[in-house]
Amino acid sequence: MSEIHLTINGKPVVAQSGQTILEAAKQADIDIPVLCHHPALANWGACRMCLVEVKGMRGLQTSCTCPATEGMEVETETEKVVAVRKFVLELLFSERNHYCMYCQMSGDCELQDLAYRYGLDHWTYPRPFEKMEVDASRKYFIMDPNRCILCSRCIRACSEIAANHTLGLRDRGARTMVVADLDVPFGESTCVECGTCLQVCPTGALIDAKSAYGGREKDVIHTQTTCMQCSVGCDLDVVTRYQRLLRVDGVWESEPSGGLLCVDGRFKPLYEKRQRVTGPLVRKDGKLVAAGWNEALGIVAEKLQSGSCQGLAYCATTDEALTAFARLFAKVDGAAGRIEPQVAPLGFGQVAKVQDVLDADVIIVTGAQPLEYQRVIGYFIHRAADQGAQVAVITDDENGLSARAAMTLTSAEAGKAVETAAGAGKVVVVYGTEIKPEVIAALKPLGDEAYILALDPARNAQGATAAGLQPQEPSDVDVLYFLLGEQSEDAALLAKVNGAFKIVQAAYHSPLVDQADVVLPTPIWVERTGHVTNLDGSAKPLHAALLMPENVRDEAEALAALADMIG
Amino acid sequence: MGKIKVASQWLESCAGCHMSFLDIDERIVELLKYVELSSTPITDLKHPPEEGVDVGILTGGIGNEEEKAEAKLMRDRCKILIALGDCAVTGGICTMRNFFDTEEVLRRGYIETESTVDGEIPHHEDLTPLTDRVMGVGDVVPVDIYLPGCPPSADAIWFVLTELLEGRMPKLEGKVLKYGSDGG
Repeated sequence: MSEIHLTINGKPVVAQSGQTILEAAKQADIDIPVLCHHPALANWGACRMCLVEVKGMRGLQTSCTCPATEGMEVETETEKVVAVRKFVLELLFSERNHYCMYCQMSGDCELQDLAYRYGLDHWTYPRPFEKMEVDASRKYFIMDPNRCILCSRCIRACSEIAANHTLGLRDRGARTMVVADLDVPFGESTCVECGTCLQVCPTGALIDAKSAYGGREKDVIHTQTTCMQCSVGCDLDVVTRYQRLLRVDGVWESEPSGGLLCVDGRFKPLYEKRQRVTGPLVRKDGKLVAAGWNEALGIVAEKLQSGSCQGLAYCATTDEALTAFARLFAKVDGAAGRIEPQVAPLGFGQVAKVQDVLDADVIIVTGAQPLEYQRVIGYFIHRAADQGAQVAVITDDENGLSARAAMTLTSAEAGKAVETAAGAGKVVVVYGTEIKPEVIAALKPLGDEAYILALDPARNAQGATAAGLQPQEPSDVDVLYFLLGEQSEDAALLAKVNGAFKIVQAAYHSPLVDQADVVLPTPIWVERTGHVTNLDGSAKPLHAALLMPENVRDEAEALAALADMIG
Repeated sequence: MGKIKVASQWLESCAGCHMSFLDIDERIVELLKYVELSSTPITDLKHPPEEGVDVGILTGGIGNEEEKAEAKLMRDRCKILIALGDCAVTGGICTMRNFFDTEEVLRRGYIETESTVDGEIPHHEDLTPLTDRVMGVGDVVPVDIYLPGCPPSADAIWFVLTELLEGRMPKLEGKVLKYGSDGG
């Protein structure tokens, strides 16, 4: 890349060769309006809002696609340019049914903003009043084609970022519509509800069911935190107002996901139905009753010192809490471990980062279902496949990635994946707890050149490992202490729980909580501070977007208080 | 110099735009030093006088023949015509009936509403027929000034009127173009 020099509105601007006029202008703080352009997406040049005049070039140029060149003289707000932009806005407003007065995006709408900017007080073209059905067949967000301007941001987000290719255009000209698959209802389509399209929509065409009408941009608070729904640890932009959770957005240019989220991180936590534990509970006369923290912690401290004890944690909490948990049990000479199984190292290869998947030439997936449990990695694998990576799925069962993999192999055929990888550039092995010993043996010839991405099933597996917590089964002790956080126990664990005195630290009621002798409440993801260590091994910060309920305390704090009481 | 004569009329409208005009509050006293209010929906004089007015203000869309005639009368009798509010500018929320034919709309309104028993669509020679579609004022007569908003703020209305008093054609931009006092 070399430096080039141009002038924009008479101002000398230095840009890099290969940059567009729009990018060069942005760097120089010159605002060119856009609608179809989005920094996270490929340039399209469809909406014509970014048209500029370039001296010596015939007609007007779309600055989002026109490369800046040496000596170029660009004008961005001439009378001619402004007239054309206004004309485009008139066409956009007259084509469909834009009713700002009851649209949830009014005030935050990019189309409306531009109408204001260019003084559009009316439009002269007749409206066709085409009747368009709203599609509310998806749970979390709604598509209203009446407000769609066909900018195709959603389509590009679906293809380029989520690599899901659900969205496309139907027909041509005035009949053009954004559709899912072969024009089926969105709720019956191949949509994975990652919500990336929702986040990039410039108008009110895609409507978040939860946050619509909940508050305009000027009313809300944004808090950046880390997703705790799986081990990938994507950055979240949590939108709240008056201590009410409105929406979760992805954070562009963040690691590891680059703004991509999945249904588990963006939507599901906002629809939590489990009953919250809102304060400490102790069992009295056979019944769990509310108690103060001092009383509850006093009982726990006494019990932990009165007999043999074991602490078992779901790694669904912070690094700080897991460390404090391990420390507490070291102090009382009790065993402490994690409940989820752990992914064993393969014994060869180098540790991969999540983003290594994106520029891999060959990806071998085995013993893991990333499309189900670490969805963003599944989408990354799809994205790599779109770029030409060969994906080999080694499985004896069904795996969602098979559909778009170059090959699906049985465990016995695992050697073929190694053959495919031979001579290829970058090889990434993505594996999980279900990997079979014969597959490990077969993949061993890949050697230390291969990048290895272990998909630990625990949300904060790295935090648990750092705290020294290894998988353990409940054992025959006098006192069992379960640190559940937001993770309700699975039936298998419940079946293994014996008649010991049970202490459960959990955010939500569950059968195990209801059998406990002492219950301590915990915060949930959106109330947490501290850190969580993601698959890439980076300790990512958590920032509370909501206050904890009055009687809830952070686990790390409660565990430290217990350690102090034990002395 | 005599006072400037202003007439107003509401068409297919919720009256919110006239309410917003009244929201100029005590500034109306100042305004009346320079302006004579002629016909309005709340004065005895309902139609602009034959000799005409300087400024005519129409709020609301045009959804029936009577409203069409009112718009034409105002246009004939004023020098400067203001389409005030989204309904006057584009037809506004009233255009939601444009997705159905008029027969369907009347049936829904007079017969199929959940609270109606034995309803019927009224027919009488005094009842004006609906137009096929609701239109903005500009679709029927030439408009000189468009003041959008649902409703436009009192400040926006004040701005337009005072600009006219100063002898300028108002150019709407910034806050006065946005509806709602907070620019939402």
